[in-house]
Amino acid sequence: MSQLVKVEVDDPQASIADALDPARGATRGQFLRRAVFGGGALTLSGVTLSGLPSLALGASASNDVTILNFALFLEYLEAAFYTEAEAKGLLTGEVRAFAGIVGAHERTHRDFIRSALGSKAINSPTFDFGDTTSSDAKFVATSIALEDTGVSAYNGQGTNLTRKTLATAATIVSVEARHAAWIRDIADTTAGLTKSSGGPAPSAFDKALTKSQVQAAVGQTGFVK
Amino acid sequence: MTDPNTIQAKELTMSDKLILEEIDADGAIREGLDALEGDSRGDFFRRAAVAGGAFAGGGALLAAMPGLAQAAFTSGDVKILNFALTLEYLEAAFYTEAENSGALSGRTQNFATVVGAHERTHVQTLKSVLGSKAVAKPRFNFRGTTKNQAAFQKTAIILEDTGVSAYKGQAPLIASDTLLKAALSIHTVEARHAAWIRHIAGVAPAPRAFDKPRSMSAVLKAVAGTHFIVAKPAAQRRPTFTG
Repeated sequence: MSQLVKVEVDDPQASIADALDPARGATRGQFLRRAVFGGGALTLSGVTLSGLPSLALGASASNDVTILNFALFLEYLEAAFYTEAEAKGLLTGEVRAFAGIVGAHERTHRDFIRSALGSKAINSPTFDFGDTTSSDAKFVATSIALEDTGVSAYNGQGTNLTRKTLATAATIVSVEARHAAWIRDIADTTAGLTKSSGGPAPSAFDKALTKSQVQAAVGQTGFVK
Repeated sequence: MTDPNTIQAKELTMSDKLILEEIDADGAIREGLDALEGDSRGDFFRRAAVAGGAFAGGGALLAAMPGLAQAAFTSGDVKILNFALTLEYLEAAFYTEAENSGALSGRTQNFATVVGAHERTHVQTLKSVLGSKAVAKPRFNFRGTTKNQAAFQKTAIILEDTGVSAYKGQAPLIASDTLLKAALSIHTVEARHAAWIRHIAGVAPAPRAFDKPRSMSAVLKAVAGTHFIVAKPAAQRRPTFTG
């Protein structure tokens, strides 16, 4: 069981290509750990990742690129939301701590996917979050919606990705689910906040949403200009 | 500049070590059988891989997973399903025993009730899908971890984190898209459970930006190390060949 939580030492020899190859899972794990322990987004941004783009050789690669750009769109959205909330400085207590930690995760996801896509990456849209980043109550309700949507969006694309790219996407989606459960439990246990609908884990099965369903849901927020 | 994510991850590492030391402290964990490792594991997968027999299918729970019960799976997928079923048996039994122990209170008790129901649903779903190919439920000994709230929390964190890494490790290996959809829908629920009990216990709910996958063998080894699985049911033991 000790292996379960052992933090392995970074392997400075590990290449980025190895890192993204599911056949070399341990190396990929090291890469991801390096991404977390070694400076997060700074380690990743600006690096051209040869792993994911090499999928362009496969039959479904253009589909992977399309789906990864869809994921990148969602990560742009989440990262911008948390970054703005942090910058405004109006959140308090654990909500504020949550925004700081989760914002760092989303920026890491954003930079990771953008780097993997390289020249095929879409640019960030312009966002307007209105007053949803200005108070704990509105921030929490919006965060729950964004994180749940992220989980459903990734889950909905799972079978559309090549299995190789899925292996990488799966390392992100469970973190989105952790965020969703965390902010839901904050809502349920913090005085003055509206409780979540159904608690941190509302169902035995998380639902999947299609791309068009996700786009419709995001469109309704009016966040994307 | 200090990244808050780094701080969380480092804090988590320390408390995770603490968890393991505490669970190992009384030495009881070193007892028991290597239920899943070694030759019994081979037995486990030989049984799992035996072909033939219609899927039992049906069941109200499968209504949420249309098509799942009707699908015919590769032997590799059956092996993965039985691996998942074993982990779900373990989790379900752990929560059921904890609920019945009366040792839990407050948010922890609520967590055990809600999550126990989820894990039992996962068990029933996987059993229904596997039909006659489903492995039997092992016998468990949770070694006191269901009778003390702090021990329960720490064990639940380990079990849920293990579940997340196990589903993540198997997802890219699943051949059937129908099965993959179901596995992904469970994978993120396990992650929600993990974050929830971590939050209750005061441990970082999302300790890093990427969750790590674990291979089947690594998970089985980790599970064997807990010695929570003490035996397969007698009816499931391999017959002794006498000639």
